Amino acid sequence: MTSTTGITNIQNMAPELPLQFSEDLLSTPMFNLIHSFGADLHYAEAHIGRVTRMSRYERLSTAGGYLDGSGIDPAPEIVVRSDIDAETEIYAKTVVINEQVTLFENDKVLTKFTALLGQWLREKEDLLMRDLYSSSVSYINAVGGINGQQPSEISRNDINNIERILLGNDARTMLEGIDADLKFGTAPTRDAFIALASTDITPDLQNVQGVLLKNAYPDQSGLRPEEYCSVSRFRFFVSSKAAKIPGISQPSGQTVYTIPMYGLEAAAKIDQNNYSAILGYRPPFVVSSVAQNSQLYAKFAIARAITNQNWITGLNVTQRL
Amino acid sequence: MGLTILTQGSFLSAGVPVNIPLPSSADYFKTINMTQLATTQATGRGFMFEWYGNPSFAVNSAIEWFKTNSSHAVNMNLVTTGGFNYVTSYPSPETPFVGTAITAASPAVASGFTGLPYNNGDRVVLYNTTGMAQIGGMEFTVSSVSTTGFTLLGLPAAAFAGPATAVTARRIAPFNQMLPEWMYVTAISQAAQAVVTVSVDPTKLVWVGQKLVFKIPYSYGMVQLNTNYSTGTQDLPAVVTAVNYAAYQFTINVNTTGFTPFALPASTGSPTNPAFATVAPAGSATQYNPVLQTFTGYNFDLQPFRTSLVTPYMNLQSGPQSPAGSSGDTILWQAYKMEQTQYQGV
Repeated sequence: MTSTTGITNIQNMAPELPLQFSEDLLSTPMFNLIHSFGADLHYAEAHIGRVTRMSRYERLSTAGGYLDGSGIDPAPEIVVRSDIDAETEIYAKTVVINEQVTLFENDKVLTKFTALLGQWLREKEDLLMRDLYSSSVSYINAVGGINGQQPSEISRNDINNIERILLGNDARTMLEGIDADLKFGTAPTRDAFIALASTDITPDLQNVQGVLLKNAYPDQSGLRPEEYCSVSRFRFFVSSKAAKIPGISQPSGQTVYTIPMYGLEAAAKIDQNNYSAILGYRPPFVVSSVAQNSQLYAKFAIARAITNQNWITGLNVTQRL
Repeated sequence: MGLTILTQGSFLSAGVPVNIPLPSSADYFKTINMTQLATTQATGRGFMFEWYGNPSFAVNSAIEWFKTNSSHAVNMNLVTTGGFNYVTSYPSPETPFVGTAITAASPAVASGFTGLPYNNGDRVVLYNTTGMAQIGGMEFTVSSVSTTGFTLLGLPAAAFAGPATAVTARRIAPFNQMLPEWMYVTAISQAAQAVVTVSVDPTKLVWVGQKLVFKIPYSYGMVQLNTNYSTGTQDLPAVVTAVNYAAYQFTINVNTTGFTPFALPASTGSPTNPAFATVAPAGSATQYNPVLQTFTGYNFDLQPFRTSLVTPYMNLQSGPQSPAGSSGDTILWQAYKMEQTQYQGV
């Protein structure tokens, strides 16, 4: 469903009929925001260009180095630096409100609309980080399932394979383990990498061998509501807006869900100094020649990058259940 | 009139579809073909095209104003193909088209489709590739496009056991949401400097000096290209030393002569063989050549991670009866944004 543009007025948002208005507004839907908290936060300086560079010195080789007593020095090794660049982009959303809405509407619409724009800030940022993970990271098809698709549904073997790849590339886990406790039905979790998945595959996640649902963690303190379960060395966080590609699996054309799985310093989110997230208001005498429309807006700057391809790998899956 | 915005611009048609970014969206859009406006053709061509957004025209539709054959006399018509396509968010895979074959040749050729609307350079995803299941789900850039088939320059399939006897294709966005992006690897040579073939046109994706990280499943051979495979080395990312854009190939600074040969697994291994072999961007490093006094390795346009497609945008189809015109035509475009739109039972 696409959005419509224009002025919010009493034609497209008519005032409530003269009924009693509840003192409490109903909840506005908001999807789980899972795509930012695993990324490293950096800052871009102002006035020095649009592109931020993050550099990494690669380690030295461990081959050779033996001094045989001849007095001949070992050959010096050239240090290698890898540069990762990210371009700052600015996003904005605006709402224009006719005075008759604020005059006739039961609720304090400017306050509520400001809250909606604040929610948009967080949701938009989340989806932009999702797009980074789905675009610039290598994905491997799940093959351990039994649904006959390429990729298959998620399985323990596929998750273990991703762990093998990350460990083989010296990736570091991001979340600390949770110690065992004397509570029935609980089990400890290991220090873990992060996995971000669609809510569509939660039935399959529950079916994975060795899955530990969140309620079975020994300690519930500090857990995010978006977390769903732990499997092997991964803790899964789910969102209805996690990445998926409809209709491309082999052979049947099922939806493919792409799950980024990563450790420390795999990705970066860069905030812009002198341009933090802004919520603003333009009064009617500025927006309208007869001072009838006011305007609310929100805008923010963001740059994104995969900072180490070795410490992130994706898993493609389809649904079975 | 705080919300009324009009933007306009022009371009010289290359005979290919054009995307016009529209940051403020659009309620009305028109193009004028200045070249065709000033001339006549044996077969009268379109010189002005209009699109309305509320309610929106169907995909690829337009009001076409065109000339009578060899005359300046004007006609108009509502066309449903080759017009405008207003895109408000990152495109999902389009309607599937079913074909009957993919040749086991290098390059492979897909055929047996009916009414394909594709253009050279479009990107498609293929699945239901019976007999060639190892490529099911992969994305390819298509060339030599007709209404019945296309060539897959990035698929050297001569070594495959046999052709595919069925295929389904869906056109997808030309790029992932962000660039630089990961790519499917379809071939790697065994050479002092290996040549890598990818399934999509690497233009705008790969540059000399770019660093890349490979992920090669064991079923493809050449796992030695994976990070940390060899002990004692620095395990550095591969670096691109040359690019052959026309062949969808690039050369890397890795000697693969002693590596296991690279080959796509057999179709019969699907769906249990690990897939796919991929390569992903890992930055770059600038080098300076004092003899040539040139820097290489940093591409200001291609290197930074950035959004690939800015939405919304207006996609203009190309051709004599389409808004993006034919090669050499000068196209003027205008986008209008209405302050307010009212619906009366529509």
